[in-house]
Amino acid sequence: MLSNVAVLDPVKPGLNFARVFGYPQSSAIEYEGLIFCSGMLAVDPDTGEREHGTVTTETHRIFKNLKILLEGNGSSLSRIVQVHALIYSRLEYDVLNRVYRQYLPNHPPARMVWQVTIESGFKVQLDVIAAAGQQEN
Amino acid sequence: MALARTIIEPRNPMLNASRNRGLPHSPGVRVGNLLFLSGMVSADPLTGEHKQGSLISETTQILENMSHLLESAGSSLKSVLKTTVFVYDMLEFQNVNDVFQKFFPTNPPARTVCGAQLSFGFKVEIECIAAVETE
Repeated sequence: MLSNVAVLDPVKPGLNFARVFGYPQSSAIEYEGLIFCSGMLAVDPDTGEREHGTVTTETHRIFKNLKILLEGNGSSLSRIVQVHALIYSRLEYDVLNRVYRQYLPNHPPARMVWQVTIESGFKVQLDVIAAAGQQEN
Repeated sequence: MALARTIIEPRNPMLNASRNRGLPHSPGVRVGNLLFLSGMVSADPLTGEHKQGSLISETTQILENMSHLLESAGSSLKSVLKTTVFVYDMLEFQNVNDVFQKFFPTNPPARTVCGAQLSFGFKVEIECIAAVETE
């Protein structure tokens, strides 16, 4: 691996999917000012226990987890550049947006929404790329 | 200052699927030190033909071809930052993990796997973002 590529700390044990689920993936990778996150799911950040629910509850949990992951690595939700939002049904598009707006109220990132099958019966998964660090004014 | 944007291609012309099939995308694009690869499906490196098979054989072939394309552009699987994997059925998720474990034994990239319907009866398609290994 290149010296300027960093595998980032999952911050909380439950966000380390390699450890809790045995997945061959890193939680997040940083390179040249960009943070590439693995698809985030609605899991308990302390235990990794899956928290299946509605699109609303899962999306809240995912954003809270992304906040922990990004802030724990010096970035934040407002620094997200691009999101791939995976949902189980396109019919829930507006439900996703309602929660999404609460976490990304101003200048939201670029986004694409796909209707796909998500692992283990989850309804939402958010795959994000964020800018590292904090905004300088 | 604007970053240079260049098209990357596999050294093996048989694996240049977009050109060989007249598709409106490139195998990959380099911007600065980042490589953005198109979604790859299983192709035979000797003939360029589609090579459908089991999920394990398709995933293995794709990652071998991805390795070739990355090496043609001054990178390698070791410098993959993020992958997105599309699988025809999430029941095969564990098989994806098993193949990934072989190709990315340490410091694996960030990853998202999801189930979607793919073209031509393929079972898997993978796209990635990688870093160029300068110097």
